[in-house]
Formats: sequence, C-alpha cells, structure tokens
Amino acid sequence: MLLRKVVAFGLGCILLLALGNLVAAQIKLEVKEHVLANGMKILMIPKPGVPRVVCHIYYKVGSINERPGITGIAHLLEHMMFKGTRMMGVTDFEADEALDRQIDELMEKIYREKFWKKDGDQKKVAEWQKQVDELMKAEKKYIVKDHLWETYMKNGGTGLNASTSDEVTGYYVTLPANKVELQMVLEADRMMNAYFREFYSEKDVVMEERRLSENSPGFLFNEQVRAAFYVGSPYHWQVIGWMDDLRRITKKDLIEFYRKYYVPNNAVAIYVGDFKPEEIIKLAEKYFGQIPKGEDIEPIRTSVPPQYSHKRMYGEGPGVPNLQMWFHIPPEGHPDVPALNILSGILSGETGRLTRVLVQEKDVAIRAMAMARPQWYVGAFTFNVVPKLQKGIKPEDLEKDVWEEIEKIKKDGVTPEELQKAKNRAEASFIRGLESSMFLAMRVGRAELHRGWRSLLTDLEDLKKVTSDDVKRVAARYFVKDNCLVAVYSRGQVR
Amino acid sequence: MRRTDTVILALMLLLLVCNLSFAQLPRPEELKFPPLKFEPPNPANFRVVLANGLRAYLREERALPIVNITAIIHTGGLYVPKEKAGLDLLLSDCLIKGGTKTRTGQVIEERIDFLGGTLNFSVGERTATLSMSVLSKDLDEGLELFFDVLMNPEFREDSLKLAKGRLIEQMRTANDNPSQVLAREFQKVIYGEHPLTFQATKATVENLTQADLKAFHSRYFFPKNIILAAAGDFSRSQLQNKINKYASKWANKSLSFPNISRDFPQPEPGVYFIQKKINQGYVSVGHIGIEDTNPDYFAVQVMNFILGGGSFTSRITSKVRSDEGLAYNTGSRFTYRWGFPGTFAGYVQTKSETVGYAISLILKEFERIRQEPVSDAEMETAINYYLESFADFFQSPIGTMVNFASLELQGKPMNYYATYRDKIKAVTKEKVMEVAKKYIQPDKMVIMIVGDFEPCNKGSDKFPGPLDRLGKIHRWKVMDPLTGQMVE
Repeated sequence: MLLRKVVAFGLGCILLLALGNLVAAQIKLEVKEHVLANGMKILMIPKPGVPRVVCHIYYKVGSINERPGITGIAHLLEHMMFKGTRMMGVTDFEADEALDRQIDELMEKIYREKFWKKDGDQKKVAEWQKQVDELMKAEKKYIVKDHLWETYMKNGGTGLNASTSDEVTGYYVTLPANKVELQMVLEADRMMNAYFREFYSEKDVVMEERRLSENSPGFLFNEQVRAAFYVGSPYHWQVIGWMDDLRRITKKDLIEFYRKYYVPNNAVAIYVGDFKPEEIIKLAEKYFGQIPKGEDIEPIRTSVPPQYSHKRMYGEGPGVPNLQMWFHIPPEGHPDVPALNILSGILSGETGRLTRVLVQEKDVAIRAMAMARPQWYVGAFTFNVVPKLQKGIKPEDLEKDVWEEIEKIKKDGVTPEELQKAKNRAEASFIRGLESSMFLAMRVGRAELHRGWRSLLTDLEDLKKVTSDDVKRVAARYFVKDNCLVAVYSRGQVR
Repeated sequence: MRRTDTVILALMLLLLVCNLSFAQLPRPEELKFPPLKFEPPNPANFRVVLANGLRAYLREERALPIVNITAIIHTGGLYVPKEKAGLDLLLSDCLIKGGTKTRTGQVIEERIDFLGGTLNFSVGERTATLSMSVLSKDLDEGLELFFDVLMNPEFREDSLKLAKGRLIEQMRTANDNPSQVLAREFQKVIYGEHPLTFQATKATVENLTQADLKAFHSRYFFPKNIILAAAGDFSRSQLQNKINKYASKWANKSLSFPNISRDFPQPEPGVYFIQKKINQGYVSVGHIGIEDTNPDYFAVQVMNFILGGGSFTSRITSKVRSDEGLAYNTGSRFTYRWGFPGTFAGYVQTKSETVGYAISLILKEFERIRQEPVSDAEMETAINYYLESFADFFQSPIGTMVNFASLELQGKPMNYYATYRDKIKAVTKEKVMEVAKKYIQPDKMVIMIVGDFEPCNKGSDKFPGPLDRLGKIHRWKVMDPLTGQMVE
C-alpha cells in the first residue's frame, strides 16, 4: 500500500489541463478537462444560472467485470458503498471494526458449513448464527445509520442515487453551488476508505431487489433470452446477478473487487452547473489528488463467439406476449455501427417502418420496435413485436412479417426521406439531451470512460455520412439466420 | 549503493506518512461553505394574457436552439362518466394520431419526426397536457401543428380503432403486475365507487365513438380553460404574436364543471388480501390523506420526511430496509390530488414470510411518531433538506414555467414558492407531533397485501402468523377489465 503511494506522490506535479470544444453544425458541447497525477479525470461543464451543481462520479466497472460465482457483486458493492468508511457511518471505528471482524469470521464458518458441505451441521450453524445476532446487536451502538446519505440530504443534496450497469457504476448527487467540496470529501473518502459494515443485511436487501424483478412480468424469460444470446461473454448475466451467487458472495470477494476497481485511474468525476472550473480543479487536486493510483485494469477478454446456429426459445408467463429477434452486431466504434443505428431509427418510432406496416397497414401488431445496442464490447440488434391477440395473432406468426421487412431493406435499402428523418432525429435529440444537466453529466461521464467524451460528437458526425447502400450492406451482413435468436413469449400460467 | 537506496526509501516513506496525516480528509461538519443567496423567480415576470384570454408563462432561454411549449388544459378522467370510462385514455391516444380537419395523424407525426421534434399528449385526473419540443428554426411549423391538434382534432375512425385495440390488449395484462394491482385497488378501497376510481372495461371502451371524443374536446378545449408554458430560444414578443394568430381565431365557451362528490366511504379497517402466486407480498398500509392546500401541509411534509419520505434518512427505511434487510423499497408517502384529499400510506415489498413482520414494524413507526417527539437532529436534517434543495425547483426553465401555470390553473397562491422557505422554517417539533396525531390514524388502517396467502399468513419467527393478528381479513377481488367480472 505504502509503495503505491510513493509512486503517486512522485508524479505529483504532472498536470494536464485541456479545453475540448467541438462544434458540429449547430451543436456545441464544451467540456473542460483536467487529469490528476493519479490518472483520475475531472470533467466540467459550466452552466451559469440556478446555483446548483450536478456532481457525478463514474467508475469503469460493472457486471461485465464479474465472473461466475460473484455475479451481482458490482451492484452489491454499489449498495455497500453507502455503508460508511473509517470516518463516516461509525462513532468508534476501532470498537466497531473489532466486532465486525468477529462477525465476518463466524459468517465465514457458517458459509462453509452451509455452502461447501452437502450435509452441513445445522446445529453448529444455528449456534454461530446466534452469536452473530448478538454481535450485530452490539455493533449497532457504533453505527451511524446511513450517515453519508443523511449528510448529503441535510446539505440540500437531491438526485441522490447510484446505479450499476453492465459497464459502469455511477454515484450521483446535485448540491447547492457552494457545497461541491462536500461531494469531493465524501467521494474521495469512500474511494479510499470504504468499510463494509452491515454487509449481511444488505445482501438480503439486494436479494429482495432481485425478487422484485422476478415478480415483474416477463423478467424471468428475458433473463434467459439474454443468457442464451450472450454465450461466453460476461454480458450473459444481468446486473442483478444470479440468486445462488448473491447468497454465497463473501465479504472477502467484495473487498477484493472494491480494491481492484475503485481506484482513481478507473474513475471520472463530472460537474455540470453553476461553478468556476478553477475552483473545482483546486478542490479536486486537494481531495481526489491524494488518492494513490491503482494497478492498470485489463479490458474484459471474452467476446461472443460466432453463433453458427439458429437459436429459438419459447416461454410462457404473465405479462405482454411478444416476439423478440436478436442479432449479434459489433460494438461501439466499429465502422458498421452508424448504419445500424440509422437503420434502427428508420424501423422504430411511431412513424417508423415497423409501426407503419405491422401496426397500421397489416393491423397484426400492437407495438413494433427495433433497437441497435452496440455496447462497449459486444452488440445486439433487437426486434420486439407485440401481437394483436384480439385478431387471433400469435407472437410466432409475426416472425415472417419481420423477415419480410428485413428482406426489403436488404434488397431496396431505404428512401432518402427516411435517411434524412433518422439523421434529423438523431441530431435534434442530441441537442435536446444537452438541456438537462443531469442527463448531460450521465452521457458525457459514461462516454469518457470508454472512447472519450468526444466520441459523442464524432458518432453523430458518422451518422450523418450513412447512405442507403451502407444500410443495405449492414442488413445483409448481420440479419442472417445463423446470427439470430428468436424468442417467443406467450401468456401462460400466471406465476 | 543498495543501503543508501534503502535509507532514502525509508526517509521517503517517513516523509510520506507525515504528509498523509496532513492530507487526511476533513469531517463533513468541519467544512465551511461560502454563503449562497437565491431568490426564486417571480411568476408575474413571465405571465402574459394573449388573445381571447389565453394565459401564458413565457421565458426566453437562448443557450440552445430549442423551443419547448406546453398547453395545460383543465380537463381529465375525473370528468368522464362511468359508462364512458376509458374516454380519457382514448383521448390521450387519439388527439394527435386521430388527425385534424386538414391533416391526418400520420402526416402530423411524420412531419414532427422529420423535424426531429417531439409532440406528446396525455390526459391526467384533472389536467391534460400537450407538449412540444422543436428546434427553434422550425418554431413556426411546429406551432402550426401544435395549435391545429389542440383546436381542430378530428379523431378519425381508423385511429380510433387502432387505439381501442391497444387499450384492450393492455387490459389483458391489467392484473399481472403486482404493484399496478396494489396501486389501483388501494385507491378503490379508500375512495370507494367514485369518479376517481372508475375503471375502463372492454365494453365501455368498445362503445366509445368519434362523437363522444369530439363532444368532450369541444366542451373543455378553449382559450380560457388553458394555460400555456413555454421556454427556449425565442423572442417573447414575437412568440406572443405568433400564438395570437391562433388564439384570436379560437372562440371561448361557457363551461360549468360537473359537481363531484367529496364524500368517501369509511372503509372497514383490517387486512385486504389479493391473492397472487408470487414470492413477495406487495403492501400498502394507510388511509385517506389531506389536500396540499391544507395549512398543515408543510408540517405534514416535514413529519413524513422523518417517518418514511426522506429515503434513507427516514425511520421506516432505516428500520425495515437498512436494519432488517427486509425490503428494497419501503417508506411512507402522502399523495396529493387537486381538489380532493390524497392518500397516506406506508409501503413495502418483502418476501412472503416476512410480510407480517415488515407491516408490524411500519405500524410501530406510525405509533412512535404520534407518541414521541422527533429528535432535534431529525428536525435539522428535514428542514435543511427542504431549505437547501429549494433552488432545485427551478433547474429546468420549461419545468418552472409549467409549475407556475399549474399553480394558476389550480387556483393556488402564486406566492407558493416565494413563501415556501418561511413556511418550512416555521415547522416545529411540537407541530410535527400534532400533525402526526391528526393525520395518521391507527384505528383506520387499511392494510392491503398482494401476494401468496399461505406463506404470507404463516409468517416467520419474528412475526408468526396468522395475518388476522393485524386485523380482520378481507379476501379482496379484482376486476378483469376484459369481462367486467370480479376475479380472485
């Protein structure tokens, strides 16, 4: 640990201040950048006016950084990051730590008895559990409940939340313009010194969160569809993780994951609102700047291997019956992606081809959508169509209608009006996205972690260059049976 | 050589340790923040009255080449008679898609999409909103479509047929999602048979006609019954002229709103159980609430923040979620509706066997806030939250204009925001206890559960069943909107 600090301090004077300013047609996005010596990036978008500042911090870690056995841990860690540090959430750190250690030791014995053995000793487990309950009761007097959350709230924090996706974990708060320093202190503190007390009850909370999803109609089937589609790749499981893993994840697993990914060189802080950039930089140097740089992190290794087969799935349950068709496409940044994005724009929406043909003309569907989701490492192009059951149409009946539309694109491409409309929509919705400070922080912060925030603008420029021939070409390349998974979901036994 | 290196390294480490002790983080309470003054915008500075008495709140905001405009109309589901239940839903779906006298819905949507704009309409309980966002270069064309839709909708038959089809397919899944079932049925128990709770069925929707929609539109859509809100890249005076072009040709009508009963049944307290084979119970525990015009409103807000509204800083979340790990979602809320009392409820979703236990914890917190004064620290957190986050109301220019327009439409005091912080500051600990006693009524609790009866009833160690320990059990039936039949 100490040696890592030496390295960080040795480089202490290397600063980088750059001003990015890209103008695309009428689009202007100005982001001020500052890189700390430890590799942490600070992005700033000043917006004078209402004295509030959106303060977000994004870590380049999500469920794709997990492996079987610890699925769901990125999200569990996001929950645990609110449980305090050596300073926050506790009145007497040493006393609390002593108890917490004992709890962990007992829980490790319980886990081994319960999960490692086929017929564990139930009596022993009950006995240990009793001791754990006693220790937890004793620990309560040292715990300051939800201290970080409360501190943010009583200082006027809103939009207070955190989220975990496949690729990114984010921590959000919007503060009065005079209190940005508070965010720097609290976030620097939990990046360095998170302490995971109340781990076992929080695992219960996360399992309840998973049960909520399970009770949301269609969730269980969609989870299977995704798993069948992303074979090999860690996109295979959902962010919430498998229940088996949630039960068995240990505190050691969590600490290891935290130490690896919650390092400044794997993080971006972004500020949008009413502030002076030089003041933000000064504070960031003072607080985030003292955090030692971590090891470099290897990108994920396993992509989705070619499918070489046509996959079909059938499921029944509550909720809206539908037909899904999934096709593998390349990830963000690949030269075919702009044409695929344009195509999804042309197929989708209330005036898109799918709605026009399947909903309005043929009147066989209630809803019909397509979406290109390139993601960071592996992409998917999905169709989702809801049949008009009143007319006796079943989800599987719609497959031929979707293929018909696909074949038309392969053969005739798209019209100049459709192309222009998709481009106009992309551009206008980009501009609209600049209105909300919170949304802007999310887009810019996330983009920065992968291909840099400027990719938002260059992607838009690339969209504008797409031709009908490009669309034809990508449709022919990716919309083939051996690259496809068809999933049919019908109403059945309501669980 | 080697030794020197080691010595240097040791010295460096020593230096570093000293350094680090200086570089330690301050505790949050040690931070000193510079003062911050903020005065809310004054609604009067944005208000104009246009031709035919059309009121508008307009704000120039020229940073981005975008114009946002919203019309808020005083109409809604509340004014739809029972036998026409669903008319509001059909109106939501067809105002744009049904086209106008001179344009089909497809032409309108196609054009808006081509311009990269958005145009949306939705009908709520007592207000409907039409919202548009366009690039400022397209403002004229956008306004033409906006006012055409608002003034001259035609509700063409083909769009009506498609919309009915969509509504009927939605009905098929009306009882699938436990949280939707809970929300709807809780209202039914609290408000009884009342326009606030009428539910559309396949039969009522199929009977609706183009004439019904036209009559409803013509009754409620006229300048004096609408307030506009706009913000974006325009000149105020020019925008007024542009809007007047339409408003001046738009005749007013006389309208008297139907008299709607404000008498609600006193539901029998107890457990209302809705059977669903799932692995959790979805729970609401509460009764009828208050209106937001009630002079106690601010004290109730502060009280509920401490009880279960202030997310992790609140007692219910802290106890049920954080201490016990029983739920992801739990807390309490007062809901508000214009002109009628809203509801008060504690809520939780937890695995079947801990349903009874979680409910017992929530009821305990209800009792505690009624019997014991809240702490100074709780008061400080709640009050400071409201004061310090106040400027957040005004983050979005169009949002601010819409808020002002809504205040005026609902006849609320226009100094609501100007006096907001003083009213929050005036709330005391004594007042918090007073309103807790007054507005949380343990003898009136409706405990509604959507879940699997057997495991919920069985309970667990900490709260072994049966559930009738919490009150008389009513097995509550829900309606299948496709058949209109009650089902379990």
